[in-house]
Amino acid sequence: MTERTFTALIVDDEDLARAVVREHLAAHPEIQIVAECSNGFDAVKVATELKPDLMFLDIQMPKLDGFEVLELLEPQPTVIFVTAYDQHALKAFEVHAVDYLLKPFGVERFEEALQRAKIRLGSGEPMRVQATDLSSAAKSDWPLDRIVVRDGTKVTLIPLAKLDFIQAQDDYVLLKTPEKGHLKQQTLASLESRLDPKRFLRIHRSFIIQMDRLARLEQSETESWAAVLIDGTRLPVSKNGYARLKDLLGQD
Amino acid sequence: MHPIFKSHARLGTYLLGWLPIAALFAAQAAVKHTPLLAAMIVGLVGAYIAAGLFLSSFFLCRSLPLATSRTSTLVTTWTAASLVMGTLWTVLMFTVLRQMGRAYPALTPWGEMNGPNLLVAGTTGCILYLLTVALHYLLITLEQRQEAERTEQELRVLAREAELKALRAQLNPHFLFNSLNSISALTTLDAKRAREMCVLLSDFLRKSLKLGERATVKLSEELDLVRNYLAIEQIRFGERLKIEWEVDASVEGVEIPTLLLQPLVENAIKHGIAQVMEGGTIRIAASVRGAFAEIHVENPIDADAETPQGLGLGLRQVKQRLQGRYGGRTFFEAKIREGRHEAVLTFPKDPDEVEA
Repeated sequence: MTERTFTALIVDDEDLARAVVREHLAAHPEIQIVAECSNGFDAVKVATELKPDLMFLDIQMPKLDGFEVLELLEPQPTVIFVTAYDQHALKAFEVHAVDYLLKPFGVERFEEALQRAKIRLGSGEPMRVQATDLSSAAKSDWPLDRIVVRDGTKVTLIPLAKLDFIQAQDDYVLLKTPEKGHLKQQTLASLESRLDPKRFLRIHRSFIIQMDRLARLEQSETESWAAVLIDGTRLPVSKNGYARLKDLLGQD
Repeated sequence: MHPIFKSHARLGTYLLGWLPIAALFAAQAAVKHTPLLAAMIVGLVGAYIAAGLFLSSFFLCRSLPLATSRTSTLVTTWTAASLVMGTLWTVLMFTVLRQMGRAYPALTPWGEMNGPNLLVAGTTGCILYLLTVALHYLLITLEQRQEAERTEQELRVLAREAELKALRAQLNPHFLFNSLNSISALTTLDAKRAREMCVLLSDFLRKSLKLGERATVKLSEELDLVRNYLAIEQIRFGERLKIEWEVDASVEGVEIPTLLLQPLVENAIKHGIAQVMEGGTIRIAASVRGAFAEIHVENPIDADAETPQGLGLGLRQVKQRLQGRYGGRTFFEAKIREGRHEAVLTFPKDPDEVEA
């Protein structure tokens, strides 16, 4: 009986670090290395195209860190984080990584991680990390300072300072910047929990605005308000949203 | 212990200080047709009985600190004490002089305790006693200030040691782990380079431990450590890391606070080279400008990254250490220019030189 084979992707910005993983995998013909990437952008692109079963993922990398890479992948591969930083371990398990290898590691430790990965792969469990998991995992780097979005294989980093408002659209959020709108698969609530509430305020079930974009509030009808942004955009304000606004602005 | 007896100099000064008073007494006696020798004896006996007797006021001074005692308590206590001690002194002096008068009759009139004599002597005693009390308070204050200064000095030394210890402990563990990981990779890929890296890493550790024991080092020594560090990172980052050196020979002998540059260069790797996909060039320049030394550390940064607000912890520490050592005669700036981060340090090349 032949063992099932799996495809693997190695992501690390250091050649030598990738070489160690490659060398350990050489003893495992059932694992086929489909590609190696040296930065987060490439990793997202390659993983989206090749859909590897298993990913060896560094955390500290140029452009995108390992967690951001993982957040952008659909479906998510089975992940083994490989890093010199032990402070991300908790977060790694919260995003359901099968293991967390600390550099440098020995062959026993590597085999253990690989074994776990194979069990996870063999179980055929779909590895969809829920947005809520990601948001709870993200507590360690709260508040967020940028949002990563992917359109096909193209990755865009949106610094929070560029956002005008965020709108809920079914399973997606629309991130509106002065230039364009970006769609990201996430709920408005989970995104809201990662934002600084002094800077971003939920004014309506479907809208979060960046406070410094707010020009004024207008009463459209009795008991009904609208937020007018600096660029002229009018957004509805709910009753609760109005209360929150008053709270934050300290008005009566 | 009584502060007067803490040193010979103090005791000597105290005893000498009573000499003018002895002279005053003697003069007063001489005016009253006493032979010179007798007048001198009267003066010396009077003054030095007071000198010895009034030393006791120290213990009362110590139990009644000026700052914390109530004024009413001070007034009553010192009035009572001066009356008692003034009287005691008067009685003692007359008794001694009377006894001496048996051997030297010229002294006899000075041993007679009659009303006017007693009043004058008693008043003088009270005044002298209060003067001694004032002197003691002065001494106590002086001692307390010296004590405070010594404590402050000790604290400063402790703080300085703590700072150095912290710097030594700052040896970035991730740098170590990443280097060890590179060595682990090289053992099978290129055993010779693996050994080379082991040696570089050991050299680096030894040097930084050694430098960490000193408060200041020559710039050349610090640069040596930096070169060592970059040689290790060169193996890790390969072609992504290029280094440009522009160090004037004239600046190499300048003394700088230990491990001042190392964190700057570590920052240049961590926030520069490691964040930029294609890597880039770290430029380290040092030169002399008049009475000042100027050092630049430059690195490329990721153009898309959000510009950090203010100085990070590492840069803030560098700035604080510069200010701690050179006060207002130093300049530190970190700025982003044309896609590169640049840190500039300027400080006096000879800090002990008096400013013109």
